[in-house]
Amino acid sequence: MNRRIALLSFAITLGLGVLTACGMVSTEKSFAAVHPQELGTGRPSCSVCHEDELKGSGKTYAAFNHSSTFVKDHKVQAGQDANVCATCHSQSFCADCHAGKTVMKPSTKLGGRPDRVTPHPGNYLTMHRIEGKIDPSSCFKCHGRANNDKCTSCHR
Amino acid sequence: MTQRTNVVLLAALITASAGAQDVSVYGTTMAQMWKQDVPGFDKASYAPATQFLGIDATKLGSEALSLHLFGWGRADLGDATSMGKKSDGNLTYGYLHYRFAEANAEIKAGRFGINQGAGMEQVDGISARTDLKHGFVVSFFAGKPVLYKSQDPLSQKDYEFQHDVIFGGRVGWRLSKMGEIGISYLQDGSTAAKDLPIPSAVDYSRRQVGADIRFVPVAAIDFMGRTLWDVANHPEPISGSAPSRIAEHDYTMSVKIAPLFLMTGNFTERNFHAYFAGTNMPSLFRQEERGKHRGYGGKVLLGSTSSLLVTADFRSTNRDSFGETNRFGGDIRWTGMDSKFQAGFGAHRVIAQNVLQIDGRVPSYSLSHREIRAWVMYETGRYSASLDGIHQSFDDQHNPNLNEKKSQSEFVASLGARLTPSVKVSGDLTYGDNPFFKKDVRALLRAEYRFSMARKGGK
Repeated sequence: MNRRIALLSFAITLGLGVLTACGMVSTEKSFAAVHPQELGTGRPSCSVCHEDELKGSGKTYAAFNHSSTFVKDHKVQAGQDANVCATCHSQSFCADCHAGKTVMKPSTKLGGRPDRVTPHPGNYLTMHRIEGKIDPSSCFKCHGRANNDKCTSCHR
Repeated sequence: MTQRTNVVLLAALITASAGAQDVSVYGTTMAQMWKQDVPGFDKASYAPATQFLGIDATKLGSEALSLHLFGWGRADLGDATSMGKKSDGNLTYGYLHYRFAEANAEIKAGRFGINQGAGMEQVDGISARTDLKHGFVVSFFAGKPVLYKSQDPLSQKDYEFQHDVIFGGRVGWRLSKMGEIGISYLQDGSTAAKDLPIPSAVDYSRRQVGADIRFVPVAAIDFMGRTLWDVANHPEPISGSAPSRIAEHDYTMSVKIAPLFLMTGNFTERNFHAYFAGTNMPSLFRQEERGKHRGYGGKVLLGSTSSLLVTADFRSTNRDSFGETNRFGGDIRWTGMDSKFQAGFGAHRVIAQNVLQIDGRVPSYSLSHREIRAWVMYETGRYSASLDGIHQSFDDQHNPNLNEKKSQSEFVASLGARLTPSVKVSGDLTYGDNPFFKKDVRALLRAEYRFSMARKGGK
């Protein structure tokens, strides 16, 4: 019963939302589907070529420069501007690290690419016993609900 | 979704790609081999063969319609690499994507990933987003969550029942050259554990509200972060005060002082009871733990976008039940010879002297350690080579997890050759010395290929 009410409420809200939103949809052109030029190797700095605002995003191109901080922690950018990421990155690029179930560590899959900042380089089997005690919430993001088949070998 | 439905859906999606004008098929085939000799266990030889495969088919009858598939399969030619399973596989994503010419509007249907709430979610369902007038943005998704039955079925008999539906949405508002704010909702499961006909002790369902911000008024200032609240209906605590409903605060502020001089500060707080809501491993991510983890830190980056990048970082964290940890260090990264050569070096010190450990064998021990990492990589159009080494030394070898070892190291050497513009082969050799294995030597052969009629500007 609860489930039916929840789904019905959601469907009604969604329907009303869609009807209202249709009249409010922006008429701006969508971002480019693909970056018009091939990019070189290494971390791109969008502001080298683009000085102005990425129209419709509310941010300048500089906000998407791939600094070390950006590469290590991009959850807010990915949540707000996934369609900007998609201009240059195909979904499989994200899936190198962010997949619900993976067969090997990203650092093993990309063993010939030490320039990619992949999680858990080296023998992380030892290090997880240290890092997990210091901060288990850092493990949770990737292994709390998914990608934890191997955890059950010891953690039952 | 049953296995049979998955296969039928996958077959239908692949068939649909035949009608596309632009098709990219890409994959990586890997053969690995290593022997394992762990004191107290049987020796084992592993030889898994792994196939990653992706298809991007665009212009499916319309410029705006595309199909995207990616997944992997593994077969063990030696001993089983997973407990009791000699083969495995997963469809990471497989969806039809309709992209509108205006408003950055899009619709996805199939299996896709959602970055919302406290983690990445895989959903079999539908999602949509669009920009609205006056800077508003709206998105939603709904479907069935992809389930990961990693625990034994008997101990998780309610898991599938509780995870019957997943949906959520986000409303954002963007102001030109200022940034964006948004609020979001995520619900996984229609009925909380305590409201089930037979109430369950573990709640696998989740309801979270989030607020996120990105404030970039000028190129020199970047403030971003989010707060998540757990709004699920939990049972009243038997004793003591109710745990915090704030699952997470995570905020980062960056200030560019000069074109190649950037300073970053970060603050994080996570309350375990709220943050670990919905985990499928309650034995590890314990919802009954009422403590929190709090951290703050900073980074100084010199030369953030030039060929030489120097980073110094510091982070102090505190976990209620275990104590304080401080880590600090630096990294240097250099790119030269028209980006053909890259090198990196990093050194970090972690001080966790006062970490209290609840363990019957050793009542207290230090988790302090040092870490050094160095790597070089050379890549021409035809050939590539890299060396990567990491070394950790531990202050307290009486830590029972270290098997009396004072340090561990791992080195990876890789060589590759691009046979054609679309095909690259490479091999990695890994040597490790660590507390788990007497000797750890691994070999990996890799073939990467991409056959494409389409063009993607980036990487």
